[in-house]
Amino acid sequence: MTDTKKPDETRVVAPVDPTRRTEIDKQRVPMSARPYRLLALVKQDAVVRVQKEPDDTVMTWPHLLSIEFLAAGVMSVFLLLMGLFINAPLEELANGNVTPAVAKAPWYFLGLQELLAYFHPSVAGVLVPGFVLVGAALIPYVDRRNAATRPSERKTAVVLFSLFCILGLTLTFIGIFFRGPGYSFVIPYLPFFQNSTNGLHFAL
Amino acid sequence: MSFLERVDTSIRRSPVWRSIFRNPYPNDERSRAYAVMNNVFLHLHPVRVRQHAVRFAYTFCLGGLSFFLFLVLTVTGVYLMFFYVPSATQAYTNILDLQTRVAFGLLTRNIHRWGAHLMVFFVFLHMMRVFYHGAYKPPREFNWVVGVVLLFLTIMLSFTGYLLPWDQIAYWAITIGSNMAGYAPLFNVPGKVLLLGGLEVGQNTLLRFYVLHIMVFPLVAALFMAVHFWRIRKDGGISGPL
Repeated sequence: MTDTKKPDETRVVAPVDPTRRTEIDKQRVPMSARPYRLLALVKQDAVVRVQKEPDDTVMTWPHLLSIEFLAAGVMSVFLLLMGLFINAPLEELANGNVTPAVAKAPWYFLGLQELLAYFHPSVAGVLVPGFVLVGAALIPYVDRRNAATRPSERKTAVVLFSLFCILGLTLTFIGIFFRGPGYSFVIPYLPFFQNSTNGLHFAL
Repeated sequence: MSFLERVDTSIRRSPVWRSIFRNPYPNDERSRAYAVMNNVFLHLHPVRVRQHAVRFAYTFCLGGLSFFLFLVLTVTGVYLMFFYVPSATQAYTNILDLQTRVAFGLLTRNIHRWGAHLMVFFVFLHMMRVFYHGAYKPPREFNWVVGVVLLFLTIMLSFTGYLLPWDQIAYWAITIGSNMAGYAPLFNVPGKVLLLGGLEVGQNTLLRFYVLHIMVFPLVAALFMAVHFWRIRKDGGISGPL
């Protein structure tokens, strides 16, 4: 007999069908009849060797922190090399009177700028980004019924999200690589195409 | 004991050293727990973490690296601030001087630029990782929302910083970017005037973007990051394995 104290919610005892009485139920008698209670029946060897719960945790130092420090170090070296060998772009002084041949937004907005070529600006510039941000924030409240986290058990969510990401990435890629002077459609580097240009019209 | 070992031991035993580092080098479980718990920077973490959370291939360190890039950008950004005046007549010359005459100016600007692009990219990747792991499911729904706010803030940080060199790329990228926002119904003209401080990109815009870039957005982002990290702990660490 071990004095294991159970959490409150598991201590509620439901009436047991007489045909399904277990060994514990047979032992259960009114408190007035016995000065002690039977809490659990345990096998003999378990009394002497109380088993610890399986513990799947590890110490933060060194197991987690060493990985973090290594990742930060690799990132630092990478940034240092980038900074040493590739210079940040800088063109002529800003001039509102001289429109450059190719005027592009920063790369993370190029998907939206690409949409601007197909839709009215109030759709591409306002509705879509608003929908994307609000929609993204609402994902956990829409995807409520399915508690599974494994991709194979939540195919709809995974497929929809992936399609959405691929769509956004494709638009951004077109905006980066296939748009040239005057935001016309160009094909970079391949001279046998009619609308080819020799180089990217893109600055990071 | 060699000379160096003796110096090492005497430094570690000195009252100054022991006043700074309260615990000896963590070798056993107890001292390792103290090392994390008693350190202001490390106590962001719990003393123990679940085994799957430590696997590199589970998180790819994307969130942590986004935060690390934020720190790198803060440090390099502060250095750049010493040499930069947000004035339409001076800003561009400041950048030229920074690149040619300031010690490590070009390198710092390069790191700041590449780090900024990388941070936007890593926050995107982090968001995708979290989605594919279903890590926004209860009880972590609101932390996902905080994450979306952080994504927005990251993009706005990058966007406002884009204008500061005051060259043609900057000017026209911001002109196009803010033109898109200028098509909001009802809010178009007041919205644009509020954002640009005028009807087109100019001195007022530069000052506004500068203040937003170096003060407002970093502070707000730091606040949301604190909530983001705190909630990870409160929700029982990062989400379970698949």
